[in-house]
Amino acid sequence: MLKNGFKAVVVIVLALLLHKAAFAAEVVDLPPEELAQESVLPVFDKPVSVKNRNIITDGRFETDVFYGYAMTEPIANVSKIGLGIYYNTSESSAWGLLLAKNSSGLSSYADQLNQQFSLQFDRAPSPDMTGMIDYNLKAFYGKMSITKSVVFNTLLYGSASVGAVKYVHKTYPAVALGLGQKFYFTKNWAFRFDLRLYAHQAPVPFLAGRLKPAEPVPNYSDFQERLTLTTNLDVGLSYLF
Amino acid sequence: MKKLLLLLIVASFVMPAASSAQRKANSKQLTPRRTAPVIPSNSREATLRNQLGNALRMAQGGQYESAANALFSLSRRTELADERPQIKYILGTMLIELKMYQTAAFQFVDVIRTKHPKYSKMAIEKLSVVADSLGDDTILNYAISRVDLNDFPANLKDMIHFRLGEIKLRNREFGQAAELFGRVSYGSSYYFQALYNKGLAELEANQPALAIGTFNKMLDARRKAPVTDTNRVAAQIGLARALYQKQDWEASIEAYSQVPRDTIMWHDAIFEQSWAMLRAARFRSALSNFQTLHSAYYEDFYMPESLLLRSIVYLYICKYDEMEKVLSLFEKTYGPVRTRIGDFLKTTTEASAFYAEVEKAHFMKTTDKSANLRLPYIVLRHVLDQGDVKRSMHYIEKLNQERSRVEANSSFRASPLGQYALKILSNRGRNAKFAVGDMVKAHLLNMRVELRDLYEQAGFIRYEMITGRKESIKKKIAGKDIGTEQIDEKVDRQFYIQNGYEYYPFKGEYWLDEVGNYHYLGKQSCE
Repeated sequence: MLKNGFKAVVVIVLALLLHKAAFAAEVVDLPPEELAQESVLPVFDKPVSVKNRNIITDGRFETDVFYGYAMTEPIANVSKIGLGIYYNTSESSAWGLLLAKNSSGLSSYADQLNQQFSLQFDRAPSPDMTGMIDYNLKAFYGKMSITKSVVFNTLLYGSASVGAVKYVHKTYPAVALGLGQKFYFTKNWAFRFDLRLYAHQAPVPFLAGRLKPAEPVPNYSDFQERLTLTTNLDVGLSYLF
Repeated sequence: MKKLLLLLIVASFVMPAASSAQRKANSKQLTPRRTAPVIPSNSREATLRNQLGNALRMAQGGQYESAANALFSLSRRTELADERPQIKYILGTMLIELKMYQTAAFQFVDVIRTKHPKYSKMAIEKLSVVADSLGDDTILNYAISRVDLNDFPANLKDMIHFRLGEIKLRNREFGQAAELFGRVSYGSSYYFQALYNKGLAELEANQPALAIGTFNKMLDARRKAPVTDTNRVAAQIGLARALYQKQDWEASIEAYSQVPRDTIMWHDAIFEQSWAMLRAARFRSALSNFQTLHSAYYEDFYMPESLLLRSIVYLYICKYDEMEKVLSLFEKTYGPVRTRIGDFLKTTTEASAFYAEVEKAHFMKTTDKSANLRLPYIVLRHVLDQGDVKRSMHYIEKLNQERSRVEANSSFRASPLGQYALKILSNRGRNAKFAVGDMVKAHLLNMRVELRDLYEQAGFIRYEMITGRKESIKKKIAGKDIGTEQIDEKVDRQFYIQNGYEYYPFKGEYWLDEVGNYHYLGKQSCE
């Protein structure tokens, strides 16, 4: 008891003597030997990349609203608006449902074709809605800082989806593969970017002798079908709860 | 090895013949009337010697298992009592070939006990080598205690000097220990361990200047080794400790910072460096280290002292709120630890129960699985890291490996030698576990005492905190309080980026690549 008391007194007296010297100059002066000189990692029994994660997804739901842009769609309107809801079964997996409604009308390219060659592509069937069951494999959790006081946590994931793309006259089964990135600007809110490649049967909008105003209006069934690949970029806002 | 076996076999044919002739002569002199029954006895001995010859030929031909079985059987024959030391010695060498070191060690111990003029000395050499590879202190001490260094072959003298040095070090005879370690020659595989232990003995003898020289010598000798070479890193941390003991704080800090991050010794280095920083009045630097040491990566580390040290640094810079948090963390973390150690010690007496706990913790440490522990994992992990426990666990592991080797060979397992080996391994394993249990108990008792002392110190520190806080409030009321601005408050982020540093505001998340790179940028709050 006395020994410990003595130790404490010595330490405290030392504190009083030393503290003024230690903080005499308040400048950022990091001694070279304290700065990182190695790019290697410390050794632990069970090394993990991160502890005390800011963003915990396991066992939580996530909803998002997004705008979709069909990057390789030549004729139909390239925009769609969608909703998604996901359940995170672990820190590495999430399952979700995506529903998107396509905007009506045609792409600007189709409008140009109409103006120059009087081709009325609104006679061709166009996509109306998309519904997919989506699996996300969350591969990399990270963080980035762009200002002195702001840190974004990031999540890079792969996605695989199955579902259907509904055209105005018919529904086609579809699959999609993609990559996504989320930027969490709070512990709940994130910007979400998804790049997906969709594959499904779809009507070919080019039908000779049926697209000009003077030509007879074709039935939707007149359009041939083929496997169509569409690259889609979704940009959205996600809420984790 | 084969050459040695050939020599032994040649010797074995000469020795039994000589001893047999001598015995016959003695027999004639002492009991002339026994000449009649000599014929059947000679015949039996001739048969046995023939069997011995066959066994030795098998050994020469590399049929170690068959040779060992035959020799084991012959070693039990009363007719070959005179040849027993030799048979057992060769049996031991066969068992070494079969990687059955513990069973071999027992053969050599039996030979040493016979005090045979030739084979006892040879058995001591072999026993030393076997015990060294097993890491078994008991056998090693037994062998070493019977060593006459002058009779020992030169190639084994280094090992004996090293082991004797270890014994002296354990007995706190530091001068003699350093002298013995100093005798280990440069080419020996024990050289660097001996050099490290020499420095350690010099530090224990309070001769830091000598220790600095020893560790520098070791560092120079390992200069060309990889940066994470165990001996090189051990020398580096040894040097840092010696400089600390010499109270050369700045040099010590520099030496600690040279310990590579990707080595297991780095964790000790960063904690010890914090002490040196405190002594050098580099409080900001010490607090930077504490950010690492008290990160989530260290939740399994038993470091109660580091929390108190951090609270003392906060006291130095009048950060009473931070101090309160750290003291509360100390009590929250180590209060239950103290209680559970106390309860366990009160309710547990069996050494096997102590061993069972560390065995479960060892399982948890080496696999991803969990176990139902009666003691906190941080306590058991700390105990597992203690040198004596670590060494004994390694020995038990060696015994298990030997047992697996026996059990994997069904024919050998069924043989009398296999059964004998299993019995030996079972007994040694049980005794080693009891010994570990006792070590664990001793460590737990020490930890209980240490925690009691630290709790007392925490009480004193809390008292100082309350006093300091009271003074601070008085100053605040008098309008003398200083602001809470941080050191880097006005420094733009570009400052860090331009200087090549990564800069992230800390938000409570710990990343493996950031551990060791934290820098405290707060400032003191004293007037």
